[in-house]
This record gives sequence, structure tokens and C-alpha cells, in this order.
Amino acid sequence: MTPFEYMQSLAEMWGRSGKDLTAAQQDMFADMARRMAEGAGRQTGSAPAGFFQPQDLASSNEAFAALWKSALGLSQSITRTMEQGKKPDPLVTELMSKLFDPRAWFSSLGGMDEALQRMAEGPRLADLWDTERKLLNVFNAWTALRRRSIEHNTVMLEAWMRATGAFAKTLNDKADRKEPLGSWREVLALWVETANTALLETQRSEKYLHSQREILKASTDLRLAQQELAAFYSEVFGYPTRAELDDVHRTVTELRRELRALERANREATTRKARERRRKPTKPIEAQTGA
Amino acid sequence: MADQGMPIKVKPEQAMREAASLAEKIARGTELFSKLRDEEVTIATTPKDEVWRQDKVTLHHYRPLTEKKVSTPVLIVYGLIGRYTMADLQEDRSLVRNLLNLGVDLYVVDWGSPSRADRWLTLDDYIDGYLAECVWFISQQHAIDKVSLLGICEGGVFTTCHAALHPDMVKTLVLTITPIDFHGDTVENRLGHGFINIWTRSLEPEDIDRLIEAYGNLPGEFMGSVFSMMTPMRTLMKYNLDMLEVMDDEKKFLNFLRMEKWIADRPHHPGEAAKQWLKDLYQGNKLIKNAFTINGRQVNLSNITMPVLNVFAKDDHIIPPATSQALGEKVGTRDYTELALPGGHVGVFVGGKSQALLGSGIAKWLAERQ
Repeated sequence: MTPFEYMQSLAEMWGRSGKDLTAAQQDMFADMARRMAEGAGRQTGSAPAGFFQPQDLASSNEAFAALWKSALGLSQSITRTMEQGKKPDPLVTELMSKLFDPRAWFSSLGGMDEALQRMAEGPRLADLWDTERKLLNVFNAWTALRRRSIEHNTVMLEAWMRATGAFAKTLNDKADRKEPLGSWREVLALWVETANTALLETQRSEKYLHSQREILKASTDLRLAQQELAAFYSEVFGYPTRAELDDVHRTVTELRRELRALERANREATTRKARERRRKPTKPIEAQTGA
Repeated sequence: MADQGMPIKVKPEQAMREAASLAEKIARGTELFSKLRDEEVTIATTPKDEVWRQDKVTLHHYRPLTEKKVSTPVLIVYGLIGRYTMADLQEDRSLVRNLLNLGVDLYVVDWGSPSRADRWLTLDDYIDGYLAECVWFISQQHAIDKVSLLGICEGGVFTTCHAALHPDMVKTLVLTITPIDFHGDTVENRLGHGFINIWTRSLEPEDIDRLIEAYGNLPGEFMGSVFSMMTPMRTLMKYNLDMLEVMDDEKKFLNFLRMEKWIADRPHHPGEAAKQWLKDLYQGNKLIKNAFTINGRQVNLSNITMPVLNVFAKDDHIIPPATSQALGEKVGTRDYTELALPGGHVGVFVGGKSQALLGSGIAKWLAERQ
């Protein structure tokens, strides 16, 4: 593996680690939501999903604590092994390879998508869960934006890696030709030019344009979800909502448009009349008064 | 270690000289930075008077600096992204002053600072509303039928449309750094050029609708960040390298700060107008196809029958030259002139090389057509 390929792998690992962290957080919430729904489902009465079930949350917490404890134990085992310089335990090796296997990470995301999307997009009831749905929309939008940001940062990291590789190559070529750079200013100028080219090339790539578009969509979705929630609370407290103000502004704009059109029509009519008067010859005063 | 084959060979005394020079620069620069006040950084200082106002739009008449040599008054029309003050950045870098000194009678329209209340304004309102009113006002003030227009960037699109719709009211049309063919970036396909064209084409129309729905307008900061993306390393180096280079020289540092003041003034672009700008023009490319409409009327470029001067910057990364030059084949006048100047999008107005060329080129062309 060349140093660049190594760095590329590192970049991929960083990107995936970030996604993994996000997914782990979502997984925890999804687990809570699932247990709450299951808890509601066990009851024969009309208690809807979403009611807080302390015993289920407690078991979730216990399961999470057990997982955390075993992860710590694993980490300590790895550290001890590495410190002693021994050949790694095959079990530890197998576990580590699973840790770094992206398929294991992405398999945890399905549960999040199902649980939270089901709650956000399921059938609406007229008088139940409306506020919760709005809150959930904000949460989903925020999570989606974070995910898109991580994806975009991965694209940018690849660009920086390419820039670094190209810079290193240029320096090596100069060294081979015995044309060393003679000042730090020259080194900086070379780095700026190399990095600029790599970044501009990245900007034109499908990957970059796609991730830009996804970030734009995710950020506007988040803003709209926040506005929907804000509108709800505005109505509760009796403040004008964004939509109401937009309505008023639209009316004012249209009225101004009509007023301008009327003023112009009036002005053009006046100008036309003035022109016509100038064209018509005026009668002598004697003829007008009949004197 | 042998020094043969080393890529970097900086002599210790060279390195120390560079470090010492840098330290001195930083010391002088820090002192200068602490002495300067924001009110000392002034732009658009050429004297003018407000002569007309409607809603947030104001029309200004510049006070003459010399005897009038071009009889028809000229109205400078900037766009809704940024402000016209770039054309009058400082005394020695001002298209406005250069034209005034060459005897041109000059007006400028300021679109104001649109807020969310202005989200429903369309390009029709600006072109056939406010701009038309400005033109009418100037013609009445001078008792003339026709006024000359000088459009800059998006303002050039406004004046182009106005000239096509009302050729009887326009004496001459000067366009600067104006896009006409919004897909013309694919002609040269230069690296680093035409990013806005590429970026808008990568979006779906509903992405733009949703963006405007979320923000009401096209936020000034949003366009600012798009412009910053177009020069990635320049943007990263601006406040360390670039500023370091000039901050020990008061004159150069003030030039830098004036540019910063103009860049920081980023009005929002009214939402409905932004939808037309991005969807109809950048995505749909309707202007060059004669498919763009204003108030239901088709903008037909062949109706531009007055003399046209089309100025563009040879290294313009925002409006690649081909996007401007496309106008030549579409206008209905034989008196069509192109003026290609050195520099970039803003550099053609504020750069040292173009100062002597832009103002004099425009004034001479205008004088020949009085």
C-alpha cells in the first residue's frame, strides 16, 4: 500500500467512524422507541405507543451498560496484549476485524430508519401525536443534516489527501531534478497552487456536487421542520406566524404593483393628452369668444 | 544527511531573514491595525444626491466633476447580489469618478436592503417597475426621450431586458461582466471558472423552490459562501497570508479593508426574483433563447436596436467571457462593440491595470454616439 492509499484508507475510516458514531446514537434512540412501542403493544387498553415505560427504559439502559462494560474489557485486553508484545489472541483479532468491518456498522442503521421513519410518516390521527410528530421531524432532519455533513467532509478529506499526494510528488520530482525550493515562501506558493487545483477539480466532480446538493436539501428540510414547530408554538402563545406575515407581505407587494401600474397608466394618459393638445392648432381668442 | 536530491533547500540565514522580515511585518501591522477605526474605511465617497425614491429603491444623481462632454445621461444599474458601491470603491479605483472626470452625466440606482418583507418581488418588478420608473424620471428631468444604460452583472441582465422591451427609451446600452448565455461556461470549460453555472445545473428546480420557501429570500451570506467556494485557497489564505502581505503598508491595508467592507455588504436577494434568476436563467437559460418573459412579454434580444458596448473580463471566473459574448449574435443592431479587459470579475473594476481602460473606453464610445 502506498502512503497515499494508506491515507485514503485513513480518510475512509475517519468518515465511517463519524457515521458510526451518528448511527450508534440513533440506534440508542431507536431502541428506546422500539421498546416503548412494544410496551404499549403488550397492553390491551387504549394506551398509545409513545407512553413512557420506565421498566423497558431501565432494561435498555442495563443492556447498554453491559455492552459498554464488555467494550471496555475488550479495549483493556487489546492494550495488555499490545503492551506485552505478544502475538494477538485469535479471538481478539477476529473481534477487531468485525469492529472495522463497515458491513457490521451499516447493519445497525436499518433499525433506526424503520423505527423513526415509521413514526414520522405513519398515518396521522387528528388529535394525537401531532406535537410529537413535529418534534420527531426536527430530530430526523437534524440527524440527516449531520449525516450529509459527514459525507461531505469525507469528500473534502479525499480532496485534501489528493492535494497532499500531488504536493509530495512535485517535491519529489524537484528533488530528482535537483531543483530544490530555496525559500519557505516558494514552498507555500507551491502548496497553495497544488491544493487550489485539487480543490477546484473536486468542485466539478459528481461526488462533490451530489453531496453539496444533499447538504442543501438537508439544511432546508431542517429549517422547514423548525419553522413548522415554531409556527405551532406561535399559535399556542398568540404570536403571528411566519406564514401569516408572508401572507401580509404578499398582499402588500401585489397592492404596490397595482398602484405602480395605475400611476403609470395615469401618467401615460396625461402625457398622451398633452401631446394631442400640442398637435391641435389653437383657435384665435376672437374666434373662441365670438368677439 | 546528504543534501543532494532534497526538495527543499533553505539556507539557515535565508530562513532567519524570512522569519525576521515576517516578525517585523507583524509588528508594524499590529500597530497599524490597532490605530485604524472602521469610520476611516470609506467606500462610495463620490458626492451624489438622492433624487427619487420608491419603496426601498433610491435613485441618485452624481455631482459633476467637470464640464459635460456626453450629453445623454447614463444610469448605472447594478444587480441584487452585492451593491453598486464596488464601482466607486475608492478615489483612485472608481469607474464612477473616471466617467465623471471624462464628462459623463451619471445616475445610479440603489436597490436597498431587501428583507423578508420583499420576498414576493420578482424580476418583473425590478425591470419593468423600479428600473422603468428610474428611466422615466431621468428622461423627465432632462426633457429627453432616451436615456443611456450601464448595466453591471445581474444589473446588465436588467438593462438588457429593459432595452429589449423598451428600445424607444434607450439611447445606448453598455453592459459590463453581464451573463447572457448562462450555459456559455461550457465553451471554454476552464478549471475554476463557471462554478455557479455548474452548481445551479446540479440542482433540481424544486431544490431552489424549497430553499426559497425555507429562507424567504436568497440570503446574502449564502451567495457569499458560494463565491468563497470559487476561490478555495484564496479564501483560506485571505486573513493570514494576504492580509499579512499588506498590513504593514497603510495605503495597501486600507485598500484591502475597503474591499472587505464591500464584500461584507451582502443584501438578500428577494425570493421570487431569485427563483427566476436561478431557474429561468441559470438552469433554463431562457434569455439567450428569447424565451424569458417579463410581465408576460417576451424578451427578444433582436429588439435591442440601439448601439451596444459589451465589456467583459478575460479572466472572469464568475461570468466566463463566452457567457457575455453570446449577445453579439443576437442583438438587432449592427453597432455592436466588444471590449475585453484584463482582470477578473471584480478586478476589472477595482484593479490597477484596468482603471485606465474601462472608464476611458466607455466614455469614448459614448461620446462617439451622441
